[in-house]
Amino acid sequence: MTAVTVTETRAKRVVAAPRAPRRRLSGGGVGAGTIIAFLTPFFLPFVLFYLVPVGYAIWQSFRVVRRNGGQYGTSYTTFGGFDQYSQVLHNHEFWSSIGRIGLFGIVQVPVMLFVALVMALLLDTPLLKVKSFFRIAAFMPYAVPGVIAAIMWSYLYSPQLSPVVDILKHLGLQPNFLGPGAVLWSAANVSTWLWTGYNMLIMFSALQAIPQELYEAAKLDGAGNWTIAWRIKVPIIAPSIVLTTVFSIIGTLQLYAEPAVLRQISSNISSTFTPNMLAYAVASGNNYQQAAAISVVIALITFVLSFGFMRLTSKKAGL
Amino acid sequence: MRNTATRVRLTAVVAAAASIAVLAGCSSSGHSGSSASASSCEPAKGKVTLQYWNTVPGMDKVVALWNKQNPDIQVQTKNISNDQYGTISNALKAGTAPDLAQVGYDELPNLRTQNAFVDASACSAATAAKSQFVPWTWSQASFGGTGVFAFPQDTGPMALYVRSDIFKQHGLTPPKTWDEYAADAQKLHAADPGLTMTFFDPNNAEWFNGLLWQNSAQMYSYSGNEWHVTVASDQSKQVADYWQKLIDAKLVRTDLANGSTQMYAAYQKNQIASYVGAAWGYSMFRDNLPSQAGKWSIVPMPTWGGNSASGDWGGSTVAFMKGSKHLYESVKFNTWLNTDPQALALENSLGGLYPAATAGLKLPALSQGVPYYNNEKIFDVFADSSRNIDTNFAWGPTQKTVNLSLQDAMAKAAAGSGTLTGALSTAQSTALKSMKDLAIPAAAGK
Repeated sequence: MTAVTVTETRAKRVVAAPRAPRRRLSGGGVGAGTIIAFLTPFFLPFVLFYLVPVGYAIWQSFRVVRRNGGQYGTSYTTFGGFDQYSQVLHNHEFWSSIGRIGLFGIVQVPVMLFVALVMALLLDTPLLKVKSFFRIAAFMPYAVPGVIAAIMWSYLYSPQLSPVVDILKHLGLQPNFLGPGAVLWSAANVSTWLWTGYNMLIMFSALQAIPQELYEAAKLDGAGNWTIAWRIKVPIIAPSIVLTTVFSIIGTLQLYAEPAVLRQISSNISSTFTPNMLAYAVASGNNYQQAAAISVVIALITFVLSFGFMRLTSKKAGL
Repeated sequence: MRNTATRVRLTAVVAAAASIAVLAGCSSSGHSGSSASASSCEPAKGKVTLQYWNTVPGMDKVVALWNKQNPDIQVQTKNISNDQYGTISNALKAGTAPDLAQVGYDELPNLRTQNAFVDASACSAATAAKSQFVPWTWSQASFGGTGVFAFPQDTGPMALYVRSDIFKQHGLTPPKTWDEYAADAQKLHAADPGLTMTFFDPNNAEWFNGLLWQNSAQMYSYSGNEWHVTVASDQSKQVADYWQKLIDAKLVRTDLANGSTQMYAAYQKNQIASYVGAAWGYSMFRDNLPSQAGKWSIVPMPTWGGNSASGDWGGSTVAFMKGSKHLYESVKFNTWLNTDPQALALENSLGGLYPAATAGLKLPALSQGVPYYNNEKIFDVFADSSRNIDTNFAWGPTQKTVNLSLQDAMAKAAAGSGTLTGALSTAQSTALKSMKDLAIPAAAGK
């Protein structure tokens, strides 16, 4: 009984509400052509460069290569069900790349976001002078393309060329930034250097949107700068922090440029170091179907992790 | 309003239909190729334009020379050094492959499994070209059979680059055998702990394959309708064990990548006394280490127990690509490109190519002393090396995947977990697995 009433009211509201704007719409002469004209610039590239490639990859991932006779034969593809997926899930290299990247993310993402948050809070205090300089300086690395950043850092890591290594050696240390244990963290350092400023800027602009009255009220209640920062600012910008975390999770799972560049000078980065590098290596061996399956699995893991994180934090962050 | 909604939905349907059409288009190309049967070799009537994709610096100038002399067979070049095999594979799938493309020897079988080539043996000029090339290069380009799928272009016969000043300083003469090389490495390192004989780049399977080739390692063969994979043969293991011992004794470094700035820095600082390299490497040292002019010599590769066999590292062919409508003209241009002395001389001076044609080995530029190397006739060493390369060596159809796997495992070995011999076993199983994935019949050999 109640259910029916609720549905009815909802239906009425739905019917009643749009009436006025609808008349205005047709009266203003916004026809179908206009809507299509405005939507096409978005939808056409979206379909061509997003939906079609994704669809193609999914389609490929369900195919297997077969061959007709002879030493070289003639290849063709046929439906293979979940064959490629079962191979990916049983691929030891795949899981070790996921594990490596998991370790990377668990350490690098919190460190980077914490530094970004502290920098954003510092920029937001009245204590800091020449703010615009610091803001630009912190954001600057983001303007450097990832590959260039990785090349730059590779010179700083290289024992043959690096002034940093030279100085550390003079201090009696034996650093090996490219060694089997260290190279993952050397890559993490490049990512952190690149992205901290970007994340800081997102948090900082959220901070800028907080009305000053809140701080005045807090001060009247006896809150100091420290309390304002951690009890007022951080909770209010929590949605931004969640957002940057989700971006970082996605970025981590797609990690490619930094390790791929460092691989040029360190043999301790294998061709299957990250999931994306594995997909690339498999594709370059002409096994496009398996590479497609790897890509789809990476996408699914990214989906689960980022949406999982959003769900987990949505209540607390007030999203 | 309703009308609009329908239309929007309609566009979505159209877009979806279009995407399906694209997908269908992509799928059908997989079926289209038939096996490489001999094609006809009719000259075209009138003017012809050929497409030629390559990665050689200065090749446009070589082609310009041809175009000037041959108004009826015009050639357009495209440099694909950015992503050579990706570009070729994609073009094959899209049906837009060029008439001729540069393909490395080790990638020939892989591309052949993708139906990339056309057999040019229908043209008598193509089969007649055999006598003009160094024997091992022809056996690679013809897959050891009677077909002609490519013409050899350049090669990388291997030799030993030595810092003669460092050798002299420690009372050593260039080693003749690998055993002597190891013994000298020991002496150098004992005399000066900061000095090593050479470096082992674990991320360079192509180089390591050259060393295996020298020891007559047969990695692949074909009989009884399947491939026989012998990547981890006894000959290969002998080479792997040798380098493993040098690595274990820290007589060679493993922290340098071939051709990297770091590598040149180590040579610049006199930390390394020799380099196991190929013919095309002579300009690397000349151009990157000008201050060491006169300090380098090039001598034949150390041998395995006096057997004069050598190995090859790198080099390419110019392949006849499937779908070409002008086989006759392609053969004509390809012959000129890779056997004409004028073309070979330009390719050598602009692109640093070391020719695969026997006529190329007699080029004036390759018969003279080279100032950087004390005016030694270094190319005589490489020509001898090229003559001593095993003609039976064959690459596998998934060579790139096997190389990556070998590299990853060699890097682990160099970092202390596992051995180079173990890396060969890893590469062996990768070879079998990757061939199975692509439905290529294969079994572990012997």
